[in-house]
Amino acid sequence: MADMGANVANWSDLFYGIYPYSWANLGIAFALGFSIVGAAWGIFVTGTSLVGAAVKAPRIKSKNLVSIIFCEAVAIYGVIIAIILSGKMKNPGQLQAADYDKALFAGFAVFWTGISVGLSNLVCGVCVGVTGAGCALADAQTPSTFVKLLVIEIFGSALGLFGVIVGIIQAGGASNFPVANA
Amino acid sequence: MLIAAAQADADTSMFFFGFMGIASALVFANLGSSYGTAKSGVGICSMGVLKPELILKSAVPVVMAGILGIYGMIVSVILAQKIKNDGTYTSYAGFSHLSAGLCCGLSSLAAGLAIGVVGDAGVRANAQQERVFVGMILILIFAEALGLYGLIVALILSSS
Repeated sequence: MADMGANVANWSDLFYGIYPYSWANLGIAFALGFSIVGAAWGIFVTGTSLVGAAVKAPRIKSKNLVSIIFCEAVAIYGVIIAIILSGKMKNPGQLQAADYDKALFAGFAVFWTGISVGLSNLVCGVCVGVTGAGCALADAQTPSTFVKLLVIEIFGSALGLFGVIVGIIQAGGASNFPVANA
Repeated sequence: MLIAAAQADADTSMFFFGFMGIASALVFANLGSSYGTAKSGVGICSMGVLKPELILKSAVPVVMAGILGIYGMIVSVILAQKIKNDGTYTSYAGFSHLSAGLCCGLSSLAAGLAIGVVGDAGVRANAQQERVFVGMILILIFAEALGLYGLIVALILSSS
């Protein structure tokens, strides 16, 4: 691609020079990577408060593991979307010029689906982690509050579900990756 | 060369911006919603220790923050239905969808920040003084309206 450095006159030229399948693969990586970062962040925020509070109230540790599991679910959402997206990508063999536009459209769809889902899950994981930490600390002091505070955590984890729903709708645009003409 | 041969009438850049609009509506709205939920959630957990009977009543900021995530999802789903690769998607449409997504997303982000901070302070104050509740609700409604403005403008832009 030695002549590609020459003239970039508009957005189209800029995006055109990037291979469609690299857009798609970056999207898949972001969907998985950011979701897992969010889940991990939530787990460590909840986990530190949980073990700290359990020093004086050891009874809380098994009940409050459910907060950790809510954070883990965020990572599972990312894995599901990444698997769905990588299933939509097909190996084109030698990409034909006529298929380049279709592949680019599908590549953009997968890229932005990945960003949507990944960053949604990132913030959802942090939210669930912070509320889970508060829940653990409150449970250690007043056991009757646990179930009510769990309701707030459920509101938080709904954000990850919004991301998954929009991701699945958005990834519908990626159905037209060209297949290899054997 | 592949690029030179295919470049004749190709302009697919509008799809990039269309999808970017979908992503920004969702991501920023979720960021605001998550901040609102977490910040007020911490306040509720703190005050719930001493006044457990007030917890469910104090969940109002959390519900209002959750609605912001729904605004983002509404705009994303509406935009996602409009992006089709059948030759009718113009650059104009791509950029207006980008703008719609950013409008909704950033407004919901701002509303979520406000709801979070006010919710946190409000529920803690409500635990100490029952009469604060109505004032907190009024302030939260004004904050929620910010997200609604973003949703309205986004719907106008996406339908043009």
